[in-house]
Amino acid sequence: MKEAPRWKRASGWVDLRGRREGGLAFLLMRLTGIGLVIYLFIHLYVLRLLAQGPEAWDAFIAMAKSPLFLALDGLLILGILYHALNGVRVTLLGLGIGVPHQARLFWGVMALTLLVTAIAAYAIFTIAG
Amino acid sequence: MWIWQAFTGLLLLILLTLHMVFNHFVVEGGLRTYRDVVAYLSHPVVFTWEILFLVVVTAHALMGVRAILLDLGIGPGTDRWLKRGLTLLGLGIIGYGVWLSWWIRSRGA
Amino acid sequence: MPTWQLRLLRGRPGGSPRLEIYRVELPAEAYLIDAVEKIWAEQDRSLLFRHACHHASCGACGVRVNGRERLMCITPLREFSPDRPIQVEPLRHFPWLGDLLVDVSPMMRRMAEVGFAIVRQDELTADRPLPEGIERITRFEDCIECGLCLSACPVMAADEAYLGPATLAAIERMLKEPRGGDTARLLTLADDPHGAWRCHSAMECTAVCPSNVDPASAIGRLRRRLIAERFRRWIGGGR
Repeated sequence: MKEAPRWKRASGWVDLRGRREGGLAFLLMRLTGIGLVIYLFIHLYVLRLLAQGPEAWDAFIAMAKSPLFLALDGLLILGILYHALNGVRVTLLGLGIGVPHQARLFWGVMALTLLVTAIAAYAIFTIAG
Repeated sequence: MWIWQAFTGLLLLILLTLHMVFNHFVVEGGLRTYRDVVAYLSHPVVFTWEILFLVVVTAHALMGVRAILLDLGIGPGTDRWLKRGLTLLGLGIIGYGVWLSWWIRSRGA
Repeated sequence: MPTWQLRLLRGRPGGSPRLEIYRVELPAEAYLIDAVEKIWAEQDRSLLFRHACHHASCGACGVRVNGRERLMCITPLREFSPDRPIQVEPLRHFPWLGDLLVDVSPMMRRMAEVGFAIVRQDELTADRPLPEGIERITRFEDCIECGLCLSACPVMAADEAYLGPATLAAIERMLKEPRGGDTARLLTLADDPHGAWRCHSAMECTAVCPSNVDPASAIGRLRRRLIAERFRRWIGGGR
């Protein structure tokens, strides 16, 4: 406790050695959380184009329909879904509800995340295509 | 803090779903043109819930940032400044968002 | 009789720790504690490790076995293959004293702060003298204070001020049966950014607990209690 240097403590929560579903779920929650915060900033920054008038925005919209951007949208939805579904799981567990089923709930969250992401990805490419 | 994170998180389940569906999935082509954004935000109910979404998502995001930064071994003194800084940042983000939405809305009038 | 390979973390504070291989012959019915004791007895008397009861009652022999928190005394060798080394390291998130030994006093101090002393009345009757050197008997039922949960908890890695799963579970148990104890003090202790609210529900405490304490559920119940208390204060006009 007192001997661990600060950098080591800071990286402690990333260490998955010996950990199981719960630890993995926690790590993924953090990583998607960090990713989503970064996305939020980018998103708000990009929206400033709206203040620059129709040309700026509509040019961006055209670019955002490129396959690369659409794939990134898929990644975004993957992150959102995991964070949201595991958020529900963690809220219940945090109140002591369903603790014996936490590992199964985690795999359920994973399965649902992948399934809905696949559906959303299909929708994205058909809507934009 | 845990309670607020959970509460805003659950609100976001609803607000973000609405945000995603109405901004992308029911829109032809998935993304609105400039003219459509102006028309969309001109609706008072839409405007209100998008602002509500902005406030809740900002709070949730910055509380999450604080939780992670606390894990870097930040003490109570630094935490006080961190909280002030993040509150200021949050107000800045919300101010920017409200200004932008209001400005866009005014284009439709 | 199979020969087992153990890879033990060796070293002293100040030096650089290293992993060293030891070979020891034991029947498959033996336990990991037997192997470590045999290494100590026959190969290196300077090996530091803690042990006492050999039956998961004292909580002294907690280590990390292949990265996972276990009690050596109930870790059977037959779980492993003689072909591959069994890696044994000290618990994390405690001050390291050398080899497999850590200083558990930070946890013990916190447990003492909770003041749990739920024991059978007949153990504390006045006519029964306490053993020499023992001031009072304290025993917290299921929890054997082994510290495995603290080592497994990712929040413990990050926040040294965090009360930790064992202590929070102890608070929850005390609140359930306060026997005239000061529940307000316990609630204040738990209702803190470094208390019950600090848990991130990684569930690793309950996953490694060798004694069915289930700290994760206890923390959840504690939070429900704290929320109810707040609600009550709120309705009761800030009493």
